[in-house]
Amino acid sequence: MSAAEYPGLPAKPGGRWKIWLAIAIIAAITAVTLAPGIGVDFSLDAIVRNWRNGAEKIGQLLVPDWSFFPRTIEPLIETLQMAVIASVIGAIVSVPLSMWAARLTNPNRITRGLVRTILNIVRAVPDLLYAAVLVAMVGVGALPGIIALVLFNVGIVVKLVSEAIESGDPGPGEAARAAGGTQTQINRAALLPDIWPPFINQALYAFELNVRASTVLGLVGAGGLGLLIDAVRTFYRYDQLALIILEILVVVVLIDWASAAMRKRLK
Amino acid sequence: MTALNTAPRTVRSAPARAITPPAKPRRPWRTVITVAITLLVVLVFWSVKVDWARTANLPADIARYLWLMFSNPAWDRVPEALWQTWRSVEMAWVGCLLGIVISFPLSFLAARGIGPAPVRLALRGLFSLIRAVPEIVIAIVILSVTGLTPLTGALALAVNGIGTLGKWGYEAIEGVHPGPIEAVKAAGGSRWQTVRWGIWPQAAPEFVSFWLYRFEINVRASAVLGLIGVGGIGDMLTSYTQYREWPTVGALLIVVIIVTIAIDLTSGAIRRRITEGSKARDLA
Repeated sequence: MSAAEYPGLPAKPGGRWKIWLAIAIIAAITAVTLAPGIGVDFSLDAIVRNWRNGAEKIGQLLVPDWSFFPRTIEPLIETLQMAVIASVIGAIVSVPLSMWAARLTNPNRITRGLVRTILNIVRAVPDLLYAAVLVAMVGVGALPGIIALVLFNVGIVVKLVSEAIESGDPGPGEAARAAGGTQTQINRAALLPDIWPPFINQALYAFELNVRASTVLGLVGAGGLGLLIDAVRTFYRYDQLALIILEILVVVVLIDWASAAMRKRLK
Repeated sequence: MTALNTAPRTVRSAPARAITPPAKPRRPWRTVITVAITLLVVLVFWSVKVDWARTANLPADIARYLWLMFSNPAWDRVPEALWQTWRSVEMAWVGCLLGIVISFPLSFLAARGIGPAPVRLALRGLFSLIRAVPEIVIAIVILSVTGLTPLTGALALAVNGIGTLGKWGYEAIEGVHPGPIEAVKAAGGSRWQTVRWGIWPQAAPEFVSFWLYRFEINVRASAVLGLIGVGGIGDMLTSYTQYREWPTVGALLIVVIIVTIAIDLTSGAIRRRITEGSKARDLA
C-alpha cells in the first residue's frame, strides 16, 4: 500500500514519533516511581502476609453493625451543619471576590492579578491540610472544619464564577459605561443580574463537594463523621466503619440528587 | 421630570391613556423554597456547636500563626520536604496509571451503543458509588490488607480514579460525532473496528486531557492521604503540626503550594496543547 501503488494517495501525516516519545517519557517516569528504594514499593509479600487479616476485615465491611446507628446521628448532623454553614459563608464571600477576579467587572489589572494570585495559592492546598493546620490553631471542633471548607469553597466558586463572567456578554456593561456609569454602578446595575445564575449554580455545586469533604474532616479533629471514622479505625471496627460508609453514600447521593434537580430548574 | 413627561402629550393628539404595566410574574414555589432554605440556614447557624463569640479574636489569632509560620520558615527542612513530596507525587502517578488501565476498558463497556444494557447500568452504578466515597476512606479500608505504605495510597487513588475516569470516559465516548461510526459500519466494520477507527480517534484528545486532569487531582489527594500515615508530605505535615513547629509547617506549606501549582501549570499547558492544537500550525 505504498504511494507508488496508489498515485493519488496522500503521504501519511508525519509526527507519529511524538506519540512514541510521549509513551517513552511516561514509561520512564513509571519506571522511576516503581524503582526499589526511591519508588512506591510493590511489596507483594506484605500483601500475602496480611491477606488473611485483610480478608477478615473486608468481610466485616459487608456486615454493617446496625446497633451503632444511634451514635452516628449526632456526628452526621454536625457534618451537614458544617457543610451548610461553610457553603453559605463561602458563597457570600465569593460574590465580591469573583467580581474582583474577572476582567469585565474589574478592569484594573493590578487588583485583578492580586486577587487571582491569592486564590491560586489558596486552591493549591487541599481542604484536609487546611483542617489539620487549623485544628492546631483554633482547637478541636466544628470551627476549624468550617474555616477549611470556606477556604476550599471560595477557591472553587470564585474561579468558576469569574470564568463565567469573562465568557458573558460585555454588551450591558458597555451600555452602562456609555451612559456614564462608574465601575461600581456598571457592576451593580448591568452585570450583577447576569452573574446570579452561574453563581447560584456553582454555589450549589460547591455545597455538594462540601458535603463530601466534610465527612472526612474529622479525621484530623475538625468535627463531624470523620471523628467517628478515626475512632472506629483505631479499634479496627470495620463493621461500624461499613455503617458510616453507607451513611456517607446515602447522604452524598441524596444531596447530589437534590442539588442537581435544583440546578436544572434554575437553568 | 414632570416637564419631560408632559412634553410629548402636547404633540400627540390621541388622549393620554393610563399605561398599566404587566403584572410581575408570580413564582409562589420560588418564594416557598427561598423561605425554606433561609429558615434552614438560620436553624443550622443557631444549632451548631460553635462558640461564635470566640470567632471575634479569630483574625488576630490566624494572623499571629501566619506570622509564626511564614516570617522565618525553616528552610533547612526543605530537602526532606521535597523528598516526601516526591513520595506523594509517586503515589499520585502510580494511582493515576492504575486507574487509567482499569477504567479504560470499563468506560467503553459503560458507553451507550457499545456495552450491553445490564453491564452498562451496573458499571455506571459502580462508578457513582465509588465517586461518593472519599479516597481517604477507601485508603482506610485498603490499608487492612496492604498496611501503612505508599502502595495503599496509590491503590486508594486508583480505586477512586476508576469512578471519575470511568464516568468522564463514557461521557466522552457518547459525545463523539456519529458520522465516522456510521461510516465504519457502512464499510462493514466489526464492533471492535468501529471503536478503534470510528470512536477512538475522536475521543483520544479528550481522554488524554482528563487523564492529565486526574493526575492533577491525585497530586492534591495524595498529600491528603498522608494524614492517615501512608507516607508523603501529608504525613510529615501532620507530625510537625502536632509538635506545633510552626516554622517547619510554613516551609512545608510553601513546598506543597509551589509543587502543586507547578504541576498544574505544566499539565494544564499540555492539556491545552492536546485539545486546542499548536498555535504555529494554525498560522501556516
